[in-house]
Amino acid sequence: MLKYTIKRIIQGIVTVWFIATVTFIAMHSVPGDPLTGERGMSEEIRQNLEQKYGLDKPILEQYIIYMGNMIKGDFGISFTQQNRSVNDIIREHFPVSATLGILSIVFAALGGVLWGALTAIYRNRLPDVVVMFLVIFGISVPSFVIAAMSQLILVNINTSFGFSILPVAGWGTISHMLVPSLVLGLGTMAFLTRLMRSSMLEVVNADYIRTAYSKGLPAQRIFLKHQLRNAILPVITVIGPAIASITTGGFVVELVFAIPGLGRFFVQAVQQLDYTVIMGTTVFYGAFLVFMVIIVDLIYGLVDPRVRLE
Amino acid sequence: MINKSIALKVSNLHVEFDTYGGVIKAVRGVSFSIKKGLTTAIVGESGCGKSVTVQSIMGLIPKPPGKITRGEVYFEKQDILKNKKINGKDIRGSKIGMIFQDPMTSLNPTMKIGDQVAETIQTHLGLSYSNAFKKAIDLLDLVQIPDAKQRASQYPFELSGGMLQRSMIAMAVACRPSILIADEPTTALDVTIQSQILSMLSDMQKENDMAIILITHDLGVVAEIADEVLVMYGGEIVEKGDVNEIYNNSSHPYTLGLKEAMPTNIKGEKKTLKPIEGSPPDLFRPPIGCSYFDRCPVAMNVCEKNRPETYEISKDHHTNCWAHHKYATNSFK
Ligand SMILES: Nc1ncnc2c1ncn2[C@@H]1O[C@H](COP(=O)(O)OP(=O)(O)OP(=O)(O)O)[C@@H](O)[C@H]1O
Ligand SMILES: [Mg+2]
Repeated sequence: MLKYTIKRIIQGIVTVWFIATVTFIAMHSVPGDPLTGERGMSEEIRQNLEQKYGLDKPILEQYIIYMGNMIKGDFGISFTQQNRSVNDIIREHFPVSATLGILSIVFAALGGVLWGALTAIYRNRLPDVVVMFLVIFGISVPSFVIAAMSQLILVNINTSFGFSILPVAGWGTISHMLVPSLVLGLGTMAFLTRLMRSSMLEVVNADYIRTAYSKGLPAQRIFLKHQLRNAILPVITVIGPAIASITTGGFVVELVFAIPGLGRFFVQAVQQLDYTVIMGTTVFYGAFLVFMVIIVDLIYGLVDPRVRLE
Repeated sequence: MINKSIALKVSNLHVEFDTYGGVIKAVRGVSFSIKKGLTTAIVGESGCGKSVTVQSIMGLIPKPPGKITRGEVYFEKQDILKNKKINGKDIRGSKIGMIFQDPMTSLNPTMKIGDQVAETIQTHLGLSYSNAFKKAIDLLDLVQIPDAKQRASQYPFELSGGMLQRSMIAMAVACRPSILIADEPTTALDVTIQSQILSMLSDMQKENDMAIILITHDLGVVAEIADEVLVMYGGEIVEKGDVNEIYNNSSHPYTLGLKEAMPTNIKGEKKTLKPIEGSPPDLFRPPIGCSYFDRCPVAMNVCEKNRPETYEISKDHHTNCWAHHKYATNSFK
């Protein structure tokens, strides 16, 4: 188990290095640089700035310097936001994004397992048909549409009650978090529902379920210990990728709900070619996702004894 | 013949499956009784309804698509098909235990062996988890699993097929059931393990006066350990009775055909195998006369349109074949 964990961590580090390098190359191949577009900049000032930020050095040297700093945990200073270090930006805004993301994934996983199990039990009956219709809706409608729609509905509810039941946008309290995380998790939940449903349908016909019945166990025990536990395995394997899709989906939802998360800085930085912020946020997100996938794999090992030994 | 009291009586059982292709009439009017302390073997070719028959007794027929359309199963003076409550916790696993063909897939892959045995004990005997687990270890020891204590904390994938089937037996007999149903318990195992397991079952039977229903394709095994035999064909019982009678005085052409088609394990005996030509009846549209009519070497006109009556060959031996009618023109011997 320990050997496996260490192996996974080393793999993860290589992945992050790869992400950093590809981002670096892509970023520098885009025409222009962070100083383009600054109005009325004389050649002299430009040269001074380039020197200050090290942009005048050969690209390979820039790469080595950057990687060196990154290993020390220093992502540099933002080009466009005066005197703000990328580390500060991440430190300040990532917790917001993480809270939103974690709430969404918890919501998506719980909902997916619950709805999936329910639809499997009510297979081809009304609850199944209704939920599966909503699932198609949830998978096919993009989250920014659902985000805008939910805001519209919230506004209508709030006005009809005459006071604010749930805030339409902003951040700070639990009530602010509720709707955005639901919206953000919805697509993933729909996807997990489908997965859980088919997995559950397979499990209920398994030989060991027949054995469980033949032992005269109470229905509730058969459901929890024998059906649910085994049906959940395929769902856990996709939680890693699901976290990735929720993270990227978060950029849009943060924008719509005016949430001060990291996503906004990322999008802005790309538009302005703010080299350090792009690199910093990309590498940070990359490392975060790789870390989450490792965690999920380790959890899978706990749930499924068959992969524990490897 | 041994006179023993009846442990379970099945009467006129009919089971159907409603599938996309139509209604499969898997079991059609099966009646038999099994006796305490004896082993009743059910034989017959694949698809003839052996598993469906015993699963109906246990209430394990998946509904839908399955449906028990007619019949009764009497156990301890009650019709357990009618009384849903009895056929749950009160009978399954406690008074009737069951083991299945494939031990590799019949155990929960994510649950410790010991826990799987213990949960039966917990459910029926009301023991605490830790006491049930201790008792589970004793049971695993009883079914001759080496290092039972360590094995109890392992998962199914860490055990061999033979050990898994032993664990299944431990689960099935944990509450000392009066009936044990074994649906091809040794088909997936190699021959040496097979005989060990069968002799272990016989030992348990003697201790508890347990009735065993054994489904098998191996006539050698039947000859060795069965007391009574039910021969099934196309969802019906065509011949039933004492094992010696069935072997030495086979009174149905299908039984004869089976004997000739199957290799025996009896030493020194050499024979050329003779397959039964043709195929089993279409269970979507079962024949109105004798099910075996198409393949029967001695079929008569009467067999095509009329269901054979039951004839008593001797007190413990019955068969459904027109050849035993007093005006029969053909005799198959
Ligand atoms: N769940 C089910 N759905 C549809 N048909 C079924 C189902 N279970 C059994 N049957 C049908 O019932 C018939 C009898 O099946 P059964 O399993 O009892 O045969 P068997 O005698 O046990 O055969 P084998 O020796 O291969 O185990 C078969 O034709 C089978 O197709
Ligand atoms: Mg079978």
